[in-house]
Amino acid sequence: MRPVIVGIVTALVLCAAIFLGSRGLHNFDSALAPYAIASVFLAFGIAYRYMVWISSPGARRLFRKGWGAALSWQNLRRTPTALPRMIATYLGFQKFLGARSRSRWAAHQLIFWGCLLAAAITFPLTWGWFTFTANTGAGPQYTMNIWGFGVVKFDALSVLGWLLFHGLDLAAVLVIAGATYFLIRRMRDREASTGQRFGYDLVPLLALIIISVTGLLLTFSSVFLHGGGYEFLAVLHMAAVVLTLLYLPFGKFFHIAQRPAAVGMQLFKYTGHGEIRQCRNCGEPIDTTAYVDNLRATMRDLKLDFDSLAEVCPRCKRLRRGQAYRTTVKPGF
Amino acid sequence: MMGRTIVIDPGRCIGCQACVSACRECDSHRGKSMIHLDYLDQGGSVASSPTVCMHCEDPVAPCAQVCPAEAILVTPDGVVHDADKSRCIGCGNCVNACPMGVPKIDLEAKLQFKCNLCYDRTSYGLAPMCATVCPTGSIFYGTLEELRAERPGVEVASTFDFDGSIISTGVAMVVPKGRPDQPLPGGAGEHARVTGSPQPAGHLEPSADNVLGEPL
Amino acid sequence: MTIPLDPNITPPGTGRFRDAGGLPADKWRAIRGEETLVPTHCCFCGVQCGMYLRVHDGKVFGVEPRDHDINRMRLCPKGLNAYQQVNHPDRLTAPLYRKSRADDLRPVSWEQALDVTAEHIQRIQAEHGRDAFGMLGGASLFTEKTYLVGKFARVALRTRHVDYNGRLCMVSAAGANKLSFGIDRAANPFADCLLTDCLLIAGSNVGECFPVMTQYLWGARDRGAKMIVVDPRETSIARTADIHVALRPGTDAAFFNAVLHVIVTEGLTDEAFIAEHTTGWDEVRAAAAECPPERTAEICGIPAEQVFQVARMFATAGKAMAWHARGIEHHTQGVENCLTVINLCVATGNLGKPGAGYGTITGQGNGQGGREHGQKSDMLPGGRNISDPVHRMQVANIWGIDVEDLPQAGTSMMEMVHQMRRGEIRGLFGMCNNPFVSLPNYHVVKEGYDALEFHAQCDFFLSETAANAHLVLPVTSWAEDDGVMANAEARVVRHRKAQEPLPGVRTDTWVLCELARRLGAGDKFEFANSEQVFEELRIASRGTVNDYYGITYARLDETGGIAWPCPDLDHPGTPRLFEGGRTYHADGKVHLQAVRWHPPADPYDDTFPMSLTTGRTVAHFLSGNQTRRLGGLVEQTPRPWVEVHPSHGFANGDAVTVVTRRGAATFPALVTEAIRPDTVFVPYHWPYPVAANELTIDALDPRSKIPEYKVCACRIEPADAVTVVPAPPMPPGREPYADTQRSRGELQPPTSSQGRGTSQP
Repeated sequence: MRPVIVGIVTALVLCAAIFLGSRGLHNFDSALAPYAIASVFLAFGIAYRYMVWISSPGARRLFRKGWGAALSWQNLRRTPTALPRMIATYLGFQKFLGARSRSRWAAHQLIFWGCLLAAAITFPLTWGWFTFTANTGAGPQYTMNIWGFGVVKFDALSVLGWLLFHGLDLAAVLVIAGATYFLIRRMRDREASTGQRFGYDLVPLLALIIISVTGLLLTFSSVFLHGGGYEFLAVLHMAAVVLTLLYLPFGKFFHIAQRPAAVGMQLFKYTGHGEIRQCRNCGEPIDTTAYVDNLRATMRDLKLDFDSLAEVCPRCKRLRRGQAYRTTVKPGF
Repeated sequence: MMGRTIVIDPGRCIGCQACVSACRECDSHRGKSMIHLDYLDQGGSVASSPTVCMHCEDPVAPCAQVCPAEAILVTPDGVVHDADKSRCIGCGNCVNACPMGVPKIDLEAKLQFKCNLCYDRTSYGLAPMCATVCPTGSIFYGTLEELRAERPGVEVASTFDFDGSIISTGVAMVVPKGRPDQPLPGGAGEHARVTGSPQPAGHLEPSADNVLGEPL
Repeated sequence: MTIPLDPNITPPGTGRFRDAGGLPADKWRAIRGEETLVPTHCCFCGVQCGMYLRVHDGKVFGVEPRDHDINRMRLCPKGLNAYQQVNHPDRLTAPLYRKSRADDLRPVSWEQALDVTAEHIQRIQAEHGRDAFGMLGGASLFTEKTYLVGKFARVALRTRHVDYNGRLCMVSAAGANKLSFGIDRAANPFADCLLTDCLLIAGSNVGECFPVMTQYLWGARDRGAKMIVVDPRETSIARTADIHVALRPGTDAAFFNAVLHVIVTEGLTDEAFIAEHTTGWDEVRAAAAECPPERTAEICGIPAEQVFQVARMFATAGKAMAWHARGIEHHTQGVENCLTVINLCVATGNLGKPGAGYGTITGQGNGQGGREHGQKSDMLPGGRNISDPVHRMQVANIWGIDVEDLPQAGTSMMEMVHQMRRGEIRGLFGMCNNPFVSLPNYHVVKEGYDALEFHAQCDFFLSETAANAHLVLPVTSWAEDDGVMANAEARVVRHRKAQEPLPGVRTDTWVLCELARRLGAGDKFEFANSEQVFEELRIASRGTVNDYYGITYARLDETGGIAWPCPDLDHPGTPRLFEGGRTYHADGKVHLQAVRWHPPADPYDDTFPMSLTTGRTVAHFLSGNQTRRLGGLVEQTPRPWVEVHPSHGFANGDAVTVVTRRGAATFPALVTEAIRPDTVFVPYHWPYPVAANELTIDALDPRSKIPEYKVCACRIEPADAVTVVPAPPMPPGREPYADTQRSRGELQPPTSSQGRGTSQP
């Protein structure tokens, strides 16, 4: 029940933010309403799914520990730059992906920055938070307003202006390049295709490509075809986006919401540094004491009664089990 | 125990590590070896034993249960998979919660790796790489009937006792004929100390310097 | 203080993946559909497991198990890593030459390289006689190439000095088999193990040296067979055997005679079989009578009870088999040790029946095929004797030469080294061998090779021996050419070319044919490929004991292997010999040979009271020139060690110097109860200064000329530091592929003799 309530509350908060940000719907573009409505459902979905996720013992404990470490005044004073640096490397530049494969890192960065750029432009637009006003009717001098306040004045023919108006096209190109790489990999690479599921692994990539391609075609239509087929493409694009937003919390895309846990986990281990739990058997380090205690608590939550084994290193677990088999079950052939 | 599964018999193991090299050659493992090969009786004999993922059935996959990122999938055929690459955050919960000592972790890549029963092979009816090449049949893949056809009258067990908590697994181990149907020792508690000489090499002094890696 | 960000702690072993040193072959890849599987066999040991090589875009990039009936998909770590050699960055791709050893080797063209070789051969032979130029072959070559080595030496070089590295491997068993049976091969196929009631494994660490053969041992035990292992070390097969006889190295003949003595005194012999099928039984029985179990047990350092147990278990079994390998063969009594085992089998009537018989396990991939067709100093193709006028005439006719021009028998490999030191051999052409690691008494070997005026060596990685040569010729690896090999069961199997030779690399066949042309014998060496050589070999072996006439490439492709003798195209081959008790001697009988034990060549005294024995480990092969460059195998076993019993007071990892009368080398101690207290073990795959063969004795068996690798007198001393393993040699200006050498600096011994456990730091 709690996830549903939190979901509804989140959706309502977003509705209120849209209402306020668009100056009481004054700046709200009704042509974009389906997108805005979909984003409200998205807010519900994400919040609901997030709550379900962190209700499992492992995630719940890490959620608390992670936020505890992030919000600890003591940690902030001791290592003020740790959190921002972790966010930059793990969430922004995704250094860990480079360690997996450089080409996958590059492709993921394309998708990541493409999606981020697209989201940064489209969500505020659909919520009526961004507006562009021109004093002279058809430009080229424009003012960009956020929440109705003028922020930037620019010339539509300048580089900045071109970027602002073609940001979505740029994002589409980035996403298409990255997603195509992943799609080809999923078709060809035996490792990637092992146990892959259409709904989980391929639909997200197809969705990204459809959205990006139809988006680009909209520009193509308005620039070169004088709006030919624009209406049809707009509907297609909208349908793709809406469906993707609704799907987002329940498939692979949910990793976007989960990935920050890596920072929480890292910060939790980092701030507990220096205090190491050693293997009860061989004395080799296992991990930080706080982490091992947290894991044991998680295991107890889950009624995994062998939690004390977490204080024995994997090698000793295997050696001891092997020795026990060898000495008490079957010594020889 | 699953229908077609791995059956391990450490008594047959010659410690050659063919499984270790073979694991790497499995397409879904991408050049990384995940199987463990341990010499059990250092200083005493050359006894050895391979460890693959036991694919725990009850309680189902403790590694997946403790995972904070829902990254470990258990498919309906009972196979506990390696971490989903988009989800795994590299926390190591599975590494230390696994009572068998199976998962490995690449800290730099923030990614867990473990035996996935060579799913690219087993889902097409082939045997996993380690069981295919094992020169001794110490790692066997097939049904119990197929095993008994090769080794008449052999008995297997697939439950383990860890200080009173019983875990039943998808992977089985060979036990002597006539052994009453009781769980295998998990090696927890005091009854099975690791004997022989101390760990031979590479003791790492536990200090902050060793725990914390390269600066960014 | 900069505080690092990434917590970098993980329990022991969980962060290591044995990722094979960056997989230098063609990097890791697994693209769907884009591969061809080429059925072939492993290049390493005598089991000759079938395997598929995975090929994409003309390059070998992986391996896939193959359901061949030798190995039934099983492979050992060497076999699994073998494919990485083919496109390895360490490969030689240009001939290297220098005028004197003071210079650096530098690349030259093939034309120059071959011209220079021919000039040196002609000059040396003109100045010092034809026999002053020698040739050494190898038993990892395809049978076609071993045939060519023999023919090239006799027809193109016309020197008597040709031998091969099987001299260090199989010759004792070969000698014993010839004496007893008149044929040189294992009597039974591996599959017969599954039918036996008792297996006797003598001097063979099957679990490490022939891992895939272990399935036949275990298969026998699954069906209730007993297993006896005779080995000074408690190896992985000895660990669980019904009886493990941990005898003192060098006492095998005494032990087996004592066993025979018990069998005779307890009336367990098969008198009917002996009477009908043997000669020489009375002498054998008399020799055995001189070995009462109690006194022999003292010689062997074992409880006398074990002699009785072994005798009763072996002789009372319905069907018994004996398999042996280098452990009893590498002795100054190597041939006689094998004879005692043969005597045991024959006296109990265990010969020529399903599940009852005798076998020797060849060490090298083509250890069997390589000794059959004339690269041995005293042999001509088809197992013919070079001293037999009839055989000489036959071969001279086949080769189209005057029988007077056919050289006489030469000397063995180790004897040739001594001849090099004495200046009797002044030039040498080496192919597929690495004596700097594999021959005993390294300092003498180095001295011999250093004395050569001209030394050419063919190899596909720069071996320690090649690095000392004047000329190095880069030749193909096994996956770049076609050919056949014969495995330990004498089953001829077909190796297939999986990819074109690397640019700059030529086949050994091409090299020998081109050289022969320059030496004026081109008309006898017009072979474009291996199959043409094989066709000539078939004819050359026709009608001999080693009859290959009925074997063709096409038949091998159809059948997956045919055991010789196979006299005609419809013949199914002969997997099991001596059926009905008939041998290949003219009288059809087993010629039993009496053996009297004598102590090893190197005497024990107060300064050298212990025995040193040497051998292999599972991750490496022979001189290690191949396996020491494969990352996964280096990771598994990065360095040699000395295995000592805890009673000497050393701790695991202590630096221990092994001293013999010939040298001293320092290794980390692997302290284990799995070895006799009076014996130490060192694996031999590594070069000086961590070479076991710096210590071993170059005493030879008088008949087979095999060196006594398996026992010499030594002492052990504590040392200050362990010697570091040198990098594998590379041509000037090149470094060995770094990722594969990551663990080479390791100073600790492996966890166990099979290597480092996967979680050893």
